[in-house]
Amino acid sequence: MKAYVIKRLLMMIPTFLGITLLVFVVLNFAPGRPGSANQSGDIATDLRGEQTEASYLIFREQFNLDKPVLFNTLFALKIEDVRAPLETLVDPAVRDAATKISARQQLDDFGGYAVPHLAAVVAQAHSAGQASLRDAAVYFLRKGAHQPLVRPFDPDPSPELRATNRALDAENAYVRQLRYVPGAPADEIDNVVRLWAQWFGERAERWQYSSRDKMRIFFLETRFANYFENLVRLDFGISLVTKEPVLDTLISKLPYSLTLSIGSLFLAYLISIPLGIASAVSKDSPADRVTTVVLFMLYSLPGFFVATLLLTLFSFGSDYESLRWFPTGGFRSRDAMQLTSAGQVRDIAYHLVLPMFCMTYGSLASLSRYMRTGLLDVIRSDYVRTARAKGLPEFQVIGRHAVRNGLLPILTLLAGLLPAVLGGSVIIEYIFGIPGMGLWIVDSIFARDYNAIMVVQLFSTLLVLVGILLTDLSYALVDPRIRFE
Amino acid sequence: MSAATLTPGQGDDAAMKTSYWAIVWEQLSGNRVAMFGLGAVGLFVFVAVYAPLFSLDQPLVWSAEGELRFPWFGALFNRLLFENAVDIFFNLAMLLSPVCLGLYLWLQRRHAADFGLVRGTWLRRFAAVQLLLFVVLQVESFGPLSNPLHYTERVVDWKEEMARLDASPDSEGAFAIFPMRSFHYSDTDPVRTVQPPSGKHWFGTDTEGRDVFARMLYGTRVSLTIGIVAVSIYVVIGIFLGAIAGYFGGLVDSLVSRAIEVMICFPSFFLILTLAAFVEERSIFHVMVIIGITSWTGVARLIRAEFLRHKALEYAQAALALGVSRRRIIFRHILPNAIAPVLVTATFGVASAILTESGLAFLGLGDISSPSWGMTLSAGRIEGKLWLILLPGLAIFLLVSVLNLVGEGLRDALDPKLRS
Repeated sequence: MKAYVIKRLLMMIPTFLGITLLVFVVLNFAPGRPGSANQSGDIATDLRGEQTEASYLIFREQFNLDKPVLFNTLFALKIEDVRAPLETLVDPAVRDAATKISARQQLDDFGGYAVPHLAAVVAQAHSAGQASLRDAAVYFLRKGAHQPLVRPFDPDPSPELRATNRALDAENAYVRQLRYVPGAPADEIDNVVRLWAQWFGERAERWQYSSRDKMRIFFLETRFANYFENLVRLDFGISLVTKEPVLDTLISKLPYSLTLSIGSLFLAYLISIPLGIASAVSKDSPADRVTTVVLFMLYSLPGFFVATLLLTLFSFGSDYESLRWFPTGGFRSRDAMQLTSAGQVRDIAYHLVLPMFCMTYGSLASLSRYMRTGLLDVIRSDYVRTARAKGLPEFQVIGRHAVRNGLLPILTLLAGLLPAVLGGSVIIEYIFGIPGMGLWIVDSIFARDYNAIMVVQLFSTLLVLVGILLTDLSYALVDPRIRFE
Repeated sequence: MSAATLTPGQGDDAAMKTSYWAIVWEQLSGNRVAMFGLGAVGLFVFVAVYAPLFSLDQPLVWSAEGELRFPWFGALFNRLLFENAVDIFFNLAMLLSPVCLGLYLWLQRRHAADFGLVRGTWLRRFAAVQLLLFVVLQVESFGPLSNPLHYTERVVDWKEEMARLDASPDSEGAFAIFPMRSFHYSDTDPVRTVQPPSGKHWFGTDTEGRDVFARMLYGTRVSLTIGIVAVSIYVVIGIFLGAIAGYFGGLVDSLVSRAIEVMICFPSFFLILTLAAFVEERSIFHVMVIIGITSWTGVARLIRAEFLRHKALEYAQAALALGVSRRRIIFRHILPNAIAPVLVTATFGVASAILTESGLAFLGLGDISSPSWGMTLSAGRIEGKLWLILLPGLAIFLLVSVLNLVGEGLRDALDPKLRS
């Protein structure tokens, strides 16, 4: 048994790696770049929107969007690579906004790696008198020279970390003000260009990469490596919307979702086991037929339809004042905290009647159906006939001998039901306004809150994985016929 | 048996009766509930195909000022009226169906004796013609020549035209035959929003004043297409992955099995939601592809298990010994024997894809330009109006439950335990 558990746990590792990989792929290769919607191809307009630009930069850093996805080859950037998009950007002949935006994004993606080349372009363009090229290069130089803070959201920073970040911040501030308004007097521009050359001259060795640096950058300065590094550190980042760590938010959402999903699973088993037994015992009777038909119809009823219908009929439906039996949604009343603990439980139960019903009824059909067939298989077996033959009352034959083995098939169903229940909770939580994981992922998806989506995906799959493991183990535990090799 | 008796046509009649699919069909046609389900699905298909006969704002016949016109026919392929490829496909099917039916009946009479042999071929030909024409209709231009079948034309408001002619003193008015209801599914009416059902709007209007009856009619097209195309996508993926995993085993098998395990752990609705939200300017084809690429695990598992069983059987071994290529063994020898259980999964899959799509539309993550039942339901939720909830909800329920009935029937028909 111990060997089996260990083996199962080891088998979970590649699966979990696969899951993390899939989440990464979904979040990174999905079309559409987050936060880039408010960019235009025109530098002059973007210069005015300095503030938005700064916050976009912070956002990019936070989500590692300033790094290439898989492999980072930016250390091998050549001056032509940087010059070409810059020239596209300032070329008055290029009028196509899409080309300009893609040139911009290219330069944004180069980030800090382009600094030496940008510095060179500034100097060249300045001496060659190409004013617009120089302006653009200075603009991107300022962006590229900006360095990210080290772990800016650390709740408890060490003194060294503070000192480093303060130094970085000071340098960033210096870099930020190394600018001029396009069309400024020549001597002011001269001065800024000179200061940039000086600034770069003092720091040029930062961009001299040894081959070890190159290896590190190639493999580790990527979104992929950062993602896994953060996973290993259990650092899931902060939410784009609330600016709070997503893990904390997730933990605060869990009680709602778990109450709903575990509660409805429990309820489903509680109802369908006796239902299945009754159907099997009275096989082909009218009662059996009616149960089958009713359950089949319930199985085909879409949950969001029933939820909406019930909510409209029994809660806030505008036409039926007298039928307002249930709250319009939420998990508890606003003043629930003042109630006694028994009162709080009652309050929650009152709020959960409708959502719980909507989440439960769908799984009743398959569960009770499996219970029924499982039991029918067992009833035909020899040992049940023996039990009857030795004169046991029917109640004992079914209840003590048959049901125990008949329960086995529906135990395995639990593993398959878990993802369905978690997925189904999305719409139910959305309709009833229950602030659980499901509602959160819908909100996060609409807000493109990548870290929140990631943590919900990872955590829910982990939950399912654990559920499958528990199902397998409990199956092995109750069915001694299963041997562990 | 001499070789002469093996000519096609002879003895095939008996062979047809005992072929696997003939037995399955016999079993299925004996199941009254399943046949009812099949009939009901057929009814949904009928409604979907002939929707423009039930509701369109273009008159079938128009006669005014000595001029006789048939705007309805032209409107069927007008991209300003029907921007979705789905509608074009169904409109084409509507026009082709009488021709095909006539041809079919004629062939049936001509080949009365051995019609069973040519039926499949002809049905395949009909489908090929339909698909070919559909592709031609979708092409905007052939090099420098623009495609005359792919056109946009200013849409005339014939009802307004009629009112104008009736009102003007120096005209005799107009004569027009409209379809059963004269509304287009995306015609908005800002004055008449959220109207309860009435003689004019049988199922009322939604939040933007669009006729719910028309939207539900054309929504049948969306639902059926989503179900069938999404399931086809994942059946193909599942068959391919399951077949190579089951047949080759080893590394391929463990890779595919791992992938299946990973996908199973995902609450698929989370994944579908995320993918759907990331696609900008979603069309229903995106929704189909998204459902397709996230739901293939069931089929892959089934096919893998079947292949594991079949590759050890004599016929597969014999084919291998004869030097038949692996690809041929997999797709020509084993697959036809392994595909039956997939049919059951696919039928249930169509039902659940329809549910998923309407769920996405309900959350506002569907295709806004196509009339999905889920969208109407969502409008009903916001407005709290019962008819806006009940009508689309019941439509989804009916379609899903009849599909499930067919699935149950198929499962019973395929289950060898039940066959006497």
